[in-house]
Amino acid sequence: MESLEQLRVQVLGKKGSLTSIMRMMGKIPPEERPAMGKMANTVRANVDEALKQRKLELTKEELNARMEAEASDVTLPGRRLSLGTQHLISQIREEIEDIFCSLGYIVADGPYVETTYYNFTALNAPENHPSRSAKDSFYIVDNAPEGKPPLQLGDSDVLLRTQTSGMQVHYMEENKPPIYMICPGTVFRPDTPDANHLPQFTQVEGLVVDEGITFGDLKGTLDYFCREIFGKDRATRYRPHFFPFTEPSCEVDVSCGVCHGEGCRFCKNVGWLEILGCGMVDPNVFEYVGIDPEKYTGFAFGIGVERVAALRYDLPDLRMLMEGDMRFLRQF
Amino acid sequence: MRVSYEWLKELVDIPEDPQELVEEFTRTGTEVEGIERVGADLDHVVVGQVLSKEPHPNSDHMWLCKVGVGSQNVDADGNPEPLQIVCGAQNFEQDDKIVVAMIGAVLPGDFKIKKSKLRGVESCGMNCSERELGLGGDHQGIMILPPDAPVGMPFAEYRGLSDTVLDCEMTPNRPDCLSMTGVATEVSAIYDVDTHIELPAVQEEHGVGPQGEDDVHSMVDVRIDDPALCSRYTARVVRNVKIGPSPEWLAKRVTAAGARPINNVVDVTNYVMFLTGQPLHAFDLGKLEERDGKRHIVVRLAHEGEQLTTLDEQDRELTADMLVISDGDERAVALAGVMGGLNSDIDEGTVDVLLESACFESGNISRTSRSLGLMSEASIRFERQVDAGSCDMVSNVAAALFEECCGAEVVRGMVDVYPGKAEAKAIDLRCDRVRSICGAPIEDDFMAQRLRRLGCDVTAGEPGVLRVVAPTNRPDLTREIDLVEEIVRLWGEGDVEPTLPAARNHAGGLTVEQQRIRMIGKALRACGLCETTTYCFADPRDLARMGMAREVKGTAVKIIRPLVSEQSEMRRDLLPGLLRAVAYNKDHGVNNVHLYEIGRLLFGRANKSLPDEETFVAGVLSGAWDDDKWNRKQPQLDFFDGKGVVEELLDKLRIQKVRYRIPEAEKTAWLQPGLAAEVVVRGSVLGWVGNIHPRTLELYGIHDPVIGFELNVGTLLRLAQDRLPYQDVPTLPGVEMDLAIVVDESMTYEQLVQRITSAGGKLLRDVRLFDVYRDPVRVGEGKKSMAFSLTYRADDHTLTSKEVDKAHNRLLTKVLKSTGGEVRS
Repeated sequence: MESLEQLRVQVLGKKGSLTSIMRMMGKIPPEERPAMGKMANTVRANVDEALKQRKLELTKEELNARMEAEASDVTLPGRRLSLGTQHLISQIREEIEDIFCSLGYIVADGPYVETTYYNFTALNAPENHPSRSAKDSFYIVDNAPEGKPPLQLGDSDVLLRTQTSGMQVHYMEENKPPIYMICPGTVFRPDTPDANHLPQFTQVEGLVVDEGITFGDLKGTLDYFCREIFGKDRATRYRPHFFPFTEPSCEVDVSCGVCHGEGCRFCKNVGWLEILGCGMVDPNVFEYVGIDPEKYTGFAFGIGVERVAALRYDLPDLRMLMEGDMRFLRQF
Repeated sequence: MRVSYEWLKELVDIPEDPQELVEEFTRTGTEVEGIERVGADLDHVVVGQVLSKEPHPNSDHMWLCKVGVGSQNVDADGNPEPLQIVCGAQNFEQDDKIVVAMIGAVLPGDFKIKKSKLRGVESCGMNCSERELGLGGDHQGIMILPPDAPVGMPFAEYRGLSDTVLDCEMTPNRPDCLSMTGVATEVSAIYDVDTHIELPAVQEEHGVGPQGEDDVHSMVDVRIDDPALCSRYTARVVRNVKIGPSPEWLAKRVTAAGARPINNVVDVTNYVMFLTGQPLHAFDLGKLEERDGKRHIVVRLAHEGEQLTTLDEQDRELTADMLVISDGDERAVALAGVMGGLNSDIDEGTVDVLLESACFESGNISRTSRSLGLMSEASIRFERQVDAGSCDMVSNVAAALFEECCGAEVVRGMVDVYPGKAEAKAIDLRCDRVRSICGAPIEDDFMAQRLRRLGCDVTAGEPGVLRVVAPTNRPDLTREIDLVEEIVRLWGEGDVEPTLPAARNHAGGLTVEQQRIRMIGKALRACGLCETTTYCFADPRDLARMGMAREVKGTAVKIIRPLVSEQSEMRRDLLPGLLRAVAYNKDHGVNNVHLYEIGRLLFGRANKSLPDEETFVAGVLSGAWDDDKWNRKQPQLDFFDGKGVVEELLDKLRIQKVRYRIPEAEKTAWLQPGLAAEVVVRGSVLGWVGNIHPRTLELYGIHDPVIGFELNVGTLLRLAQDRLPYQDVPTLPGVEMDLAIVVDESMTYEQLVQRITSAGGKLLRDVRLFDVYRDPVRVGEGKKSMAFSLTYRADDHTLTSKEVDKAHNRLLTKVLKSTGGEVRS
């Protein structure tokens, strides 16, 4: 390219050979000048054109050479700015929140430390219900124990909530129907950690109170939820059960995603996987919070988030959720 | 509750295949946890006949037998011949019918029968004793069967031991189903069929007294001290019982229900309990104290510290809230509703029996059982509430069986103290209400019919209303909604059409705060941090390890019975949990750790039952962002990576005027001095960012530097803004000028920038630090050179170089003057 430029200067430059020929035009007889001039211009144009052509060719070659030099092994790994990941449980919790928000629910939050009134009594659990025992609940030291009635079961009047259901009571105390609410949150039970148990886990409570709410509405809502969270092809099964704060109550199973109900190792040959408990709000609960059970009906449900995670990923050990192992967290 | 399929079959018509019933149970709310085939351990065990019996050639106490097993005859080579069996028992003769375990049998205790040689002689099976068959304690000799036992018949079939037992988990509201009659009633309602429950009746009652003119009241009286704890107590007496083994049918039923046959009297009480759900207790009348010619049963609370040896031969120390039965006022003879006392138990010498059929308060029994750690079939039933209304009926059933199975004479009459008798209340069931709650077209007739099947008395009330009186064994049926549940579960919850509620006049969605909390997570993840969750429990030593001041953290929320002492209180800081996670990663060879957690902290308050609960966000960084790659080296993370994350997060939340202040060292003992900052916004301390003190890291077993931060989420949410005002994008070019200035080490970046900015005038638009340089020779000891790139720009015209020079020189003069620094040449 440089030698090309030199050549251009040599020929067409101010002191170039062609330029000097052009300068000599004055010395040429006038009658020859037109022909001579024309010829000189043609030569000039030709040289110019040839130079341009050559320049283009050289530019192209140069570009090709450069690109060839830059070519790399594109299978080498890229330069990534790795994003962090969200914890599996909080991903599923948000997913559940979004499903219910899309159905018009609000998301409420409640305290970890509850009184026995909110955790049990107002949820219609009898005074001597075994779930109140210190074996099934973490009671905490009450800093203001004076003037409270003696306990029938348990160690104190205050405990780490064993379920998010207490939020049903809080929420109904503070809000009038229509109520469409979920409350995700951490709950605590004295289970020694092992592959299937954690002393601290996550529930999502749901509560609907409105005029004309039916058991069919409960089913429709939970069917929708199950299909959103597990997949459109999954079936549900409602098994009547007992919970103190709902009646009728049931447990909901979703068809096994591995065998689709045929029975396999994953579902322990049952074909169904238990995923949540639910029921119509017991009129006694309405009475505790001053809602007229003749005017309003409702349903409530409780979803175990770790259970959903374990089913979705066939997790071998729930304790992995609490260890903070980067190799585990990075997977989700 | 173990439900014997053979037994249930006698009480109600059920499908041949137990699996069919299991499915119906599941559909209607009885959970079947297991299906056990009884008699499976008696496969290859058959009735045999001793064809010959000769002394063993090499033993003086064993016999060599040929045993015929009918069509099953086969010898050692598989030819159809009687079995040759070597037997050490002495109690049999030729032609006796016996029980033979053939090759392939696996007897209880995983005892496999194989072809073997005993003292050189081949033996192809075993003649069995009762104990070897798992049938009882008799090991004196082999079992001898009646002469009519059919040779070759499987023994399980011969003894009727083939059965299927459904292990049912009854929900706590269904005490009625802890009985065979209750389960049969449930089945009759499921299938809409009749039950065939036939209860035995006493054949003959005997009077007492010289002429037989008196009844049981002349022998026994009953006093209930606390009627709230015992709503009914009945006592019956049977005399001249002949204690012995139970008849086979009785032993079989009791075994199927999960109890061990003991003797006929005890087995009758257990059988009747399994049949009806009413626990019974049999006292040896002769062992009860007699005063004024009578036995005095007193139902009273125990004395604090009172001793009682229960039937399981354990000495129990009782407390004053436990209910006991005593014979008179002094001696306790039973722990009411839980277990009898050893001092009044039935034994081989028992002649007369006092039979208790009573109803004790469920909560009291439950607490007694829990505090003593003593559960029994009786306590399980009392805990769930037994039917006071049928104590007398059940007592009569047991008396009839004593008569039948123990040869007893039943004394006329029953002592029946019933202070807790309650009138049955009718429930009005509105059929339309049932339909509107269920959202299902259930017909009135279905409701009435199935409630009747459950034992309810159903009559027509007002139009569209059924008057329902629930049976006394259904304490769970007291309200209309209780009946709704019965109806819908029998009708089929699966058949109710799913619908979605209209949710009129209700809008949902996340609040602004909830969206902002999600934003916090998103920003941190965008910075490369992974979210984790750690326990909300804390080690009481955590704060001391951190050197965190306890007073600012409130008091600990203490768990009364923690699982482990390291988790005996609730956390008041997120950092310890995250440091444990860092240590976990490092211990497992993961060096690059970037974690964050959004979690709740609990701060106890004096004289308040409930603590303050606040949410915080914290993060830890250690190692590098990534491993070195072929085209990029990864520097080790340092303080400014942590600070960068915090800056980015606050920026995303559009929190402005953030300052990083050097904290007082004693207030931040967990941070390395000189690499620690408090994050402050308009006077509010949001939290901190800094390198964790090496001493603290050591306590958590971490040997690499860790940078951490912790911010109060409540404060973040309060300061966050949805949007900032729009600012024009510059259209005119700016001019960049460099400024390298040498200042004392003590001058901070923040101070210097502040001086540059205030000296810059309105043309100065941007100040960017691009180098910090230290060199004792070129810059000087105790000095540093900071190089800035300054951008000058006007909004209305392109600046001339003259304007820029003027502004820059003015800035330089002012800055040098105010900082005492000098321009680095």
